[in-house]
Order: sequence, then C-alpha cells, then structure tokens
Amino acid sequence: MNRVRWHRVAAILLKYYYITINRLDRIFDMLYWPLIGLLIWGFTSKFIVDISQQSQVLNIFLGGAILWTFYQRAQQDMGNYILEDFWSRNLYNLLSTPITPEEIILSAIIFGLLRSLITFALLAVIGFLFYSFNIFGAGVLVMLLFALSLLLLGWVFGIFVTGLIFRFGVKIQVFAWSFAFLIQPFSAVFYPLSATPLWLQRISLAFPTTHAFEGMRYAFATGKIAWNHLTYAFLIDAVLLVLAYYFFLHCFNKARREGIMAKME
Amino acid sequence: MDAITVKHLTKAYWQKGKPFHALKGISLNIKEGEMFGLLGPNGAGKTTLINILAGLLDKDDGSISILGMDPLKEKETVKSQMNVGAAYSFLTGILSVEQNLRVYGMLYGIKNIEARITQLMGMFEIENLRHKRVYTLSTGQAIRVILCKSLLNKPKVLLLDECTVGLDPDIAQKTRKILKDYQKEHGVTLLFTSHNMTEVEQLCDRIAFLYKGEILVIGTPKELSRRIKTNSVKVDVLENGKKPLRAIVGRFKVRITESKPGMVIFETQGEKELPKIINAIIKGGMEIIDINVRKPSLEDVFLKIARGERL
Repeated sequence: MNRVRWHRVAAILLKYYYITINRLDRIFDMLYWPLIGLLIWGFTSKFIVDISQQSQVLNIFLGGAILWTFYQRAQQDMGNYILEDFWSRNLYNLLSTPITPEEIILSAIIFGLLRSLITFALLAVIGFLFYSFNIFGAGVLVMLLFALSLLLLGWVFGIFVTGLIFRFGVKIQVFAWSFAFLIQPFSAVFYPLSATPLWLQRISLAFPTTHAFEGMRYAFATGKIAWNHLTYAFLIDAVLLVLAYYFFLHCFNKARREGIMAKME
Repeated sequence: MDAITVKHLTKAYWQKGKPFHALKGISLNIKEGEMFGLLGPNGAGKTTLINILAGLLDKDDGSISILGMDPLKEKETVKSQMNVGAAYSFLTGILSVEQNLRVYGMLYGIKNIEARITQLMGMFEIENLRHKRVYTLSTGQAIRVILCKSLLNKPKVLLLDECTVGLDPDIAQKTRKILKDYQKEHGVTLLFTSHNMTEVEQLCDRIAFLYKGEILVIGTPKELSRRIKTNSVKVDVLENGKKPLRAIVGRFKVRITESKPGMVIFETQGEKELPKIINAIIKGGMEIIDINVRKPSLEDVFLKIARGERL
C-alpha cells in the first residue's frame, strides 16, 4: 500500500468541491432528490399510520429512507466524482502527477462522507419538522453505528464500481448511479426480513444492509442495540472492503498495463 | 549525467488476441538539460514511449531510469520532479482555468501556488482566461493552459507530446520561445514529439526518428539532414522548341521528379553534376529564368523514413 500524502488528498477534495459548486446536478443529488424521497415516504407513511393506527410505520419508512441515503450517497458519489475525470479526459494529466490510487479512493470516501452528512442533517431536520420523526429516537449511538455500517458498504460498492470504470471506461458508467439499487430488494429496507420468503431471507442475510435495517427496526421497537446484527454487518463490510480494494487495484494496474489511462477516455 | 535512460524497451498491445508491437526494444539516453525531439509517422511509438515515461502505461520489458531513479520503484519522487503536456489531453472541463491550476498546484505540493499561477498565466498570455471554464476554451487556449499546468512544479524533466498542435503560427512561435527561454533558465530536460519539422529543428539539440517501434537514427538536426545526399534542383527556362528541357536534363545521372514545358525538378547526388547540366541547357539554346537548389531538410529525412526508404 502506498503512503498517503494529505496535500494531494486535499487537492482532490478541493477539486470535488469545485465540481459540486460548478455543477447543479451535484447539488441536486445531495439535497433535492433525497428530500423528494423523504417527502414521498413521509406522506405515504403518515397516511398508512392514519388508517392503520400503527405508529411504527413512520419509524420503519422514514428511518429506512434516511439511513438508505447514507449507503446510496457513499456508493454513487465515489463513481460520479471519479467519472468526471473520464468525461473531461483529464485522467491523463491527473495520473501523471504523483497521486496514488489509495489517495484517489480516500478523497472520494471523505468527500462522500461529507456529502452524506449534509444530506443526513437535512433529512433529519425535515423529518422532525414535517413528521415529528426523530432519527435518533432509538438512541444516537445505535443510529450512528448502523449508519456507519451502511456507509462502509456504500464505499465497498463505490470502490468496486470505480474499479470497473478504470477497467472498462465510461461504457459501464450507468453502474455509478444504479449499482446501489441492485441490492435494495434483498436489503429489507422498508419491511421486516420476516415479510420475505425464506429463500430470499437466506440471500438477504449476506448483505450488511439487511442487518443494518433489521437492527434499526429492533432499536426503534425495543430501544436496545441488536449486537448480532451489528457484528454481522461490520464483519461482512470488512471482508467486502478488503476484496473491493484488491479488485480496484487489480483493475487499476490492468488499465495501466493496457494503456487505458493513456487513452484518456 | 543522463536525465533519461531507456534500455531495450518493449511494449506490445494486444488486439483480438494478436500483439501489436509498439516498441521493439528501443534504447536511448537523454542528457540533463537537453532538448530532445522524437519524430516519426503516426503509429511509430512516440506517444507510447512518452506514456511509459510518464508512468501512464506499463512497459513489457527493458529498463528506464529518470533522473537516476527507477520510476517504478520511486514513482512518487520521479513524478513530482517531472511533468507532462499533451495537446490531446484535457483538464477538468467543469472547473475554471484557475481552479484547475490550483488543484494541480496542490497535487504537486507547490508552495505559494497563487503567485506561480499568475506568473505562468502571464508567461503564456492567458490572464484573461483565468475564470473561464476549461470546456469553453478553444483548442489553442486549452493547449496553453495545459502548458501552464506542465510547468507548474518547475519540472526537471518535461515530456511534451505534440503540444503545439492547434496553435496559430504566431502563438506557436511564442510558445517555442517560451520553452526555449525556460529551458535555458532552468536547465530542464525536454522530450518533445511533434510533426512540425521546423519546430523540432528550432527547438531540439538532438532528434531520434522512430519508425514502427524502432529507432532508425539519432543525431543533431544537421547530422540527420546530411544523411540525405541528394539535392533537389528546380530549373525554369524559356524553351526554344528545338529540344525539350526534360530530354536535356535526362541525359545526366539525375532522377527527374517533376517536369512540364519550361520547368523541370530533379534530384542530384551532391553538386558536381549541376554545372554540367546548366551548361547543357544553355548550349541547347534555352534561356534560364530561375535555378533553385534546395538542400535536404529534416522533412526530407522524415518523408524518406515514412516511405520506408533507407537513408
């Protein structure tokens, strides 16, 4: 592993900041779309609460929607910001500097985290103001831990997709913004795992997202931390993170061997 | 001391299971502070060599040393002391010129970035582009921004790949002067590829001709031009109609490349034959209007190599 130089990480963070303030869609995907999602889920769940008198529905839907943004932002941001260099054909100049693959990944992770926190703060405030929903209602620690496990998985898929982009170029760019959703049906985001067929439950348990959302619902229902879910989520995240890192390095080195970086597209 | 040493460097690209050998074991040394030109037709391997030296492409075999270091082992140190400029590369389009240069300044760990950016923008006369987004720039403007970027870290080794393509003649001339002055002042080693022979002749101390992945010749521009022994001669006459000009010139050991009534262009080995030919034309009763003897240039060397002819 290469040594990280923080001035280069700061340079890439500055670039991502410039991209964000210069490109309206980077502001929209941080603020507007998550807000629209929250409003839709909020009014839907409010309606269901009204007709069913099941107040837990609000926690399940809004808690799911807010936590999901952590994972989605982390995955999409990594791909989107790195794609900017492909679209600009800037990779040639960027990679001829002393920057290392680790610094590129680390910058994307840090920037994604900052954007996730902004989105989270906005949704938490709007959720509270509009629907009296407190995301920390089940405890600050438990929410932060499950949010972190989702962030980690977002980075895992972000790193994986970035590897694919380096290997195959912009022709697979659709994964940058769609990959996060591939596992949504298996993640029990808006319904308990028990509501799904047995065969699907077995598959779902392989994803840290399932453990995070099950744990969140358990915390809202009991006020306690589901340590088993938390442990599984972090263990799977850790294994996947290592695999994703080596996959990325493999793709990065293969791209350099085959001259994909020098082709600049 | 050599700034760049390349030994037996090979690189092949695989296309549909078949190898295309872009570099076939080339070797060359470039001295510190030297301006070195790489010439050759498209597909000769110039850009492949530049990309390998820049760390953007892995070599298959052979060895490289830059500033006495192995760029694979001391990647960070080597890359921080060199820079690359390619006409066909871009900076981040959505960012302004200044934002891009600031980011690159930070990537190279430059102190006092703002002053350096202002100095370089002044040098390349692009202060007016400071706040313009890169994607809105014309080709010529974008190339000057790329050149600014390539000098940001005061590199000891500078690799420029066709970096004056797309510049209008006036700006290209200014750019050559800037590079020449910069080289004199800072002693930077410059590896330069171009299709513009005049430019290479003006800028480079030595030149290597690449052809199909091999270096055919290395030398100073004068040495290389001298390798072509033939002069091209153009004679214009007023014909008297007795005997055609082409027939008179054709009696000598020359190669006629073009002719029409009153004009002939031919190639001779050296200049010994020329007085005899002129004499024969006059004796043939023709009035010579103009004689133009063109010495072989670098372009002739390039054309001969591109046609696969031996020098």
